[in-house]
Amino acid sequence: MFRNPPAVQLVTAVLATGGLFAEVDFNRDIRPILSNHCFACHGPDEHDRRGELRLDTEEGALRSGDIGDALVPGKPDDSEIIHRIFSDDPEDVMPPPDANKALSAEQRTLLRQWIEQGGGYAEPWSYRPPERHPVPEAQSPDWPENWIDNFILDRLHREGLEPAPDTDPVTLVRRLHFDLIGLPPSPQAVERFLKEWKDDQSASVEKTVRDLLSSPHFGERMAMYWLDLVRYADTCGYHGDQDHSISPYRDYVIDAFNDNLPFDQFTREQLAGDLLDSPTIDQKIATGYNRLLQTSHEGGVQAKEYLAIYFADRVRNLSNVWMGATVGCAQCHDHKYDPYTARDFYALGAFFADIDEAQHFRVGTNSLPTSRPPEINVHSKRERLRLTELEAQLSSPTFANRKEQEHLRAEIAALKKAQRKTMITVATKPRTIRVLPRGDWLDDSGPVVEPAFPSFLEKPGNSKKSGRLNRLDLANWLTNPAQGTGGLTARVMVNRFWYLVFGSGISKRLDDFGGQGEAPEHPELLDNLAVEFYQSGWDIKHMMALLVTSRTYRQSSLETVALRERDPYNRLVARQSRYRLPAETIRDNALAISGLLQTSYGGPSAKPYQPMGYYKHLNFPGRRYAHHADDRQWRRGVYVHWQRQFLHPMLRAFDAPTREECTAERPRSNTPIAAMTLLNDPSFVEAARVFSARVLSESGPEIDDRLEFIYREALSRKPDEKERQIMKRLVSMAAQDFQSNPAAARKLVSTGAAPLAEGLDTVQHAIWTTAARAILNLSETYTRN
Amino acid sequence: MTPSEKLGNYVNRRSFLGSAGIGLGSAALLSLLGRDSLGNTIDTSYDGIAGLPHHDAKIKRVIFLTMAGGPSHLETFDYKPKLDELNGKPMPESFTKGQPIAQLQGQHLKVQGHLTKFQEFGKGQFISDFLPYHRKMADQICVVKSMLTEQINHDPAHTFMNTGSAISGRPSMGAWINYGLGSDSEDLPGFVVMTSVGGRNPQPIAARQWGTGFLPSRHQGVEFNSTGDPVHYVTRPSGISGKHQQALVQSIQQLDSRRNDMVDNPEIKARIAAYEMAFRMQASVPELTDVSDEPQHVLDMYGAKPGDGSFASNCLLARRLAEKGVRFIQLYHRGWDHHGGLVKYMNTCCGLTDKPTWALLTDLKQRGMLEETLIVWGGEFGRTPMFQGKGGAGRDHHMKGFSMWLAGGGIQGGTAYGETDELGYASVKDIVHVRDLHATMLHLLGIDHNRFSVKFQGLDMRLTGVEPARVVQGVLS
Repeated sequence: MFRNPPAVQLVTAVLATGGLFAEVDFNRDIRPILSNHCFACHGPDEHDRRGELRLDTEEGALRSGDIGDALVPGKPDDSEIIHRIFSDDPEDVMPPPDANKALSAEQRTLLRQWIEQGGGYAEPWSYRPPERHPVPEAQSPDWPENWIDNFILDRLHREGLEPAPDTDPVTLVRRLHFDLIGLPPSPQAVERFLKEWKDDQSASVEKTVRDLLSSPHFGERMAMYWLDLVRYADTCGYHGDQDHSISPYRDYVIDAFNDNLPFDQFTREQLAGDLLDSPTIDQKIATGYNRLLQTSHEGGVQAKEYLAIYFADRVRNLSNVWMGATVGCAQCHDHKYDPYTARDFYALGAFFADIDEAQHFRVGTNSLPTSRPPEINVHSKRERLRLTELEAQLSSPTFANRKEQEHLRAEIAALKKAQRKTMITVATKPRTIRVLPRGDWLDDSGPVVEPAFPSFLEKPGNSKKSGRLNRLDLANWLTNPAQGTGGLTARVMVNRFWYLVFGSGISKRLDDFGGQGEAPEHPELLDNLAVEFYQSGWDIKHMMALLVTSRTYRQSSLETVALRERDPYNRLVARQSRYRLPAETIRDNALAISGLLQTSYGGPSAKPYQPMGYYKHLNFPGRRYAHHADDRQWRRGVYVHWQRQFLHPMLRAFDAPTREECTAERPRSNTPIAAMTLLNDPSFVEAARVFSARVLSESGPEIDDRLEFIYREALSRKPDEKERQIMKRLVSMAAQDFQSNPAAARKLVSTGAAPLAEGLDTVQHAIWTTAARAILNLSETYTRN
Repeated sequence: MTPSEKLGNYVNRRSFLGSAGIGLGSAALLSLLGRDSLGNTIDTSYDGIAGLPHHDAKIKRVIFLTMAGGPSHLETFDYKPKLDELNGKPMPESFTKGQPIAQLQGQHLKVQGHLTKFQEFGKGQFISDFLPYHRKMADQICVVKSMLTEQINHDPAHTFMNTGSAISGRPSMGAWINYGLGSDSEDLPGFVVMTSVGGRNPQPIAARQWGTGFLPSRHQGVEFNSTGDPVHYVTRPSGISGKHQQALVQSIQQLDSRRNDMVDNPEIKARIAAYEMAFRMQASVPELTDVSDEPQHVLDMYGAKPGDGSFASNCLLARRLAEKGVRFIQLYHRGWDHHGGLVKYMNTCCGLTDKPTWALLTDLKQRGMLEETLIVWGGEFGRTPMFQGKGGAGRDHHMKGFSMWLAGGGIQGGTAYGETDELGYASVKDIVHVRDLHATMLHLLGIDHNRFSVKFQGLDMRLTGVEPARVVQGVLS
């Protein structure tokens, strides 16, 4: 199905040009063509530059090179570029045939059109600091809920489109829950919302949003995403893939989102918490960020080689996460598409040269967890608060009762024991960092570099700090819109917030805003959101609320055939998006529906059921996985043990990343392995049988009562006639089967460690387990609409 | 109004989508949508990307026999009389100066002569005493003696061999090939990985070695296990019969389909298809791994005991997978990391793998399948000409020169290709870099490696990477 018929290519071509404007936009239409087809030889990397011609800057294009005038503004026929790209001569034609980068007819026409219209360049959109643009006036003044909507509506009207109608309130309340807390709404929450919606739609949305943003589950949901970006995992990744001690960092991230820690401070604490004035315990925990990368103490590793590997890993991650850039590409040579030089790469990495991290080459152990000093023993913030609270209670006269005091003492003792080890950053004397020629760690001939910001992003007139720059300077530079690149960072982040609640970014690429990224479809809106973000004091909850209270957010996700043909990627946001839930949410959702979900907060990682022998290829030491047989079994996905080399097969089946590298956007696949997981993974079978017990004990006795109960709990709606028929047929099949084979029924309802509900008829329990399994396998159950 | 009434009210398919539903033109668009996020697909059949193959393929599939740990080329295929001459003498510094080294860092380096005897078959083709069954098929294999990799530790070296890069997160060979060409199998995944038991305490092996990186996840290698479920979650829950499960899957499909009547979501169609394939796999996988239909003489030829998880059993399963149209089959045998006790452990490893390897090749040949299959044999790197003595004579990791072999369609059997220097340290003549191996493999499959790329993080990613790679013409027939 991947073979594109001609009709589709046409559509693609139309989309690639924006399809809609007579005016050619350099950043949207031209830069991607030049970047894809020309920059590899005529771009920023001077080593590979051919014919003295450089096309990534206007200056370079206008300069006469070996071939004469490459670009003559307004005169395509005098421009060598046009001559070359339209040439039939294989010796002359550009790009050369052996580059396999031939231009399409549409692209050639566009380039011609561009030069006709003046051939002007525009600064790459992502390096231009965001500025506030005037909010367009709405032609349908009733539609907008906030200024986001004016931008969306204005563009839609210019395209001759109208926004989709509002979605129904049930879909909306489900959407809000999945997007903001990663859990389905309870039937009661749905009923409540429906009532409030009837009174005042906007007010009901605002109230629900407020409630959800103050739920502790908000932090868990946001952390899921952040942990992908920073590649958080419970194991060290290389070779023996031993556990390393880092879970307090995960709890710190969850707390940070729940406490609405401003994003600039969140950045400072992670990159440089140790360099702040008298850092708090949380700020020290936060510096675990610098230690999240994969490490190895394999016998025979050369420290020098691995320090070079870690160095590059950090630059890749830092630039992906905060800069939306692929500076990692400049490890061996100047970047091919963006103005980052190899020197920038090493200068950026040099910020991390002070991190004490080489100890593990000597003291790393083949144990669980392994040793990765420096590490400290800590309580999480919640645990510390609780301890203070308990100790206060102990000394208060209201708890004078001996029994109460014993309870308090016991809890205090247990909590004190619950300290966890966590890797932190400790600064030492910085290593000498050299530019490694072609990235070769054996080559010491390159020049020594000090920490420095990428040269092309340096602002003239900035007062240079005297002395060596450090990680705190880096964090400040990343988050200061006036003196650093704060505006750019804000734009990278708000684009991701948008992705979290609309399914894709305003600029589609979430980790590359460079020349090879994709120019945003709504650049002014993206700019305004970025400015709003830092001007609000980097207030994440404010931004999330702004997005989800917009009318744009409230649209239906259904699409008309016409719209699907016009805008198949939904770049114009003429509707909401619908997509499969992320892996952790698939788990959480099934557990929540069944009633099994354990909502405890923070703590060591949890171990759900896992196929026997899944870790058999791990060694040093050999691994035996023991799933948790207590409440930890049913904890949220964000707490599941993240084994980099052998990620839990359920998480893998639904595209959770191994977190070896930054992941800004997960694929959303739909595979037979995923289907088998929902069908047969004991976690889901167990959820179905616990759900079934609820059906039998909480719903009315008739089959229709039960079906309605199941649908309400899982999908917040009633089954229609057709669905009832299908389900009834399934139930009667199951009844025949289990009535003639009660032993099979007993086996089925014994799946998993959850206690068996008492007083239920086993056969009935099994029959409704089959019904529940059907529901826990439906597309609708795992689709955010 | 109840929620469901509201939904019904709202979702009026006729008014919203037009009574014609989806016409032909939009079917094409569905496939476009299917490519929107990398993972999406529309139906179970997948026949690769447009424009592939670039040229006529010589082979349909690859069986990659990964000898994990790094077998010594100096005790298998690379005979160097000078090595025996200098046995026990200091390693000439001209070879090792400034070169990366693994566990022998900072140690006094001395030459370790061959720990076995060699016999010559084709011109320049030597096979050691450790591999008697290899000698029987000498006329079928082409030994490449001039391999070169860039990684000296196991984990990154495997990653490099499998993905062409030491950076995690790149697709592996099998994923690339299935992405490019699609699968020929109706009811099995196109990329299957098996790891055998037996031998010494093995090096770990990571699932990233058969990962899909940034390619759609359907192309990921699926591991077949010798114990427990042959594939994770392929076994029905306890108490559920095949018929029961079938009725359940059908109900799920009907309910999904009903939902699709209301909301017209292409993803749902993809999902219905995925459930179809899942259901078929629940029958086909156990069928495939149950070898009770194999005659005794075939089991004997391999030395396979059903269900023992041995390399022999996996070789037999590899043939069965090949028959079913699986595109890329990778067998790992671990335990080749012989820092010490090399003779003892070579006997173990070769004892477990030599005969089954021969049996696989012979079986395929007898069935007329060898000419449409490429078999690749080798480790992630080789071993030093220098002595290491962790419990008896052994050798350290080595990346500058090592041996692999190729056999099957398009390969010139009975030959050797390339040379290392006089001590077997560095490949010096007709060097075959890992990426050249990849280019050659792709070439045999009908793919021009230069034109086989996917855009990721703004770059045109290739299995063969950014440095020029060449198809090794010298090994082709």
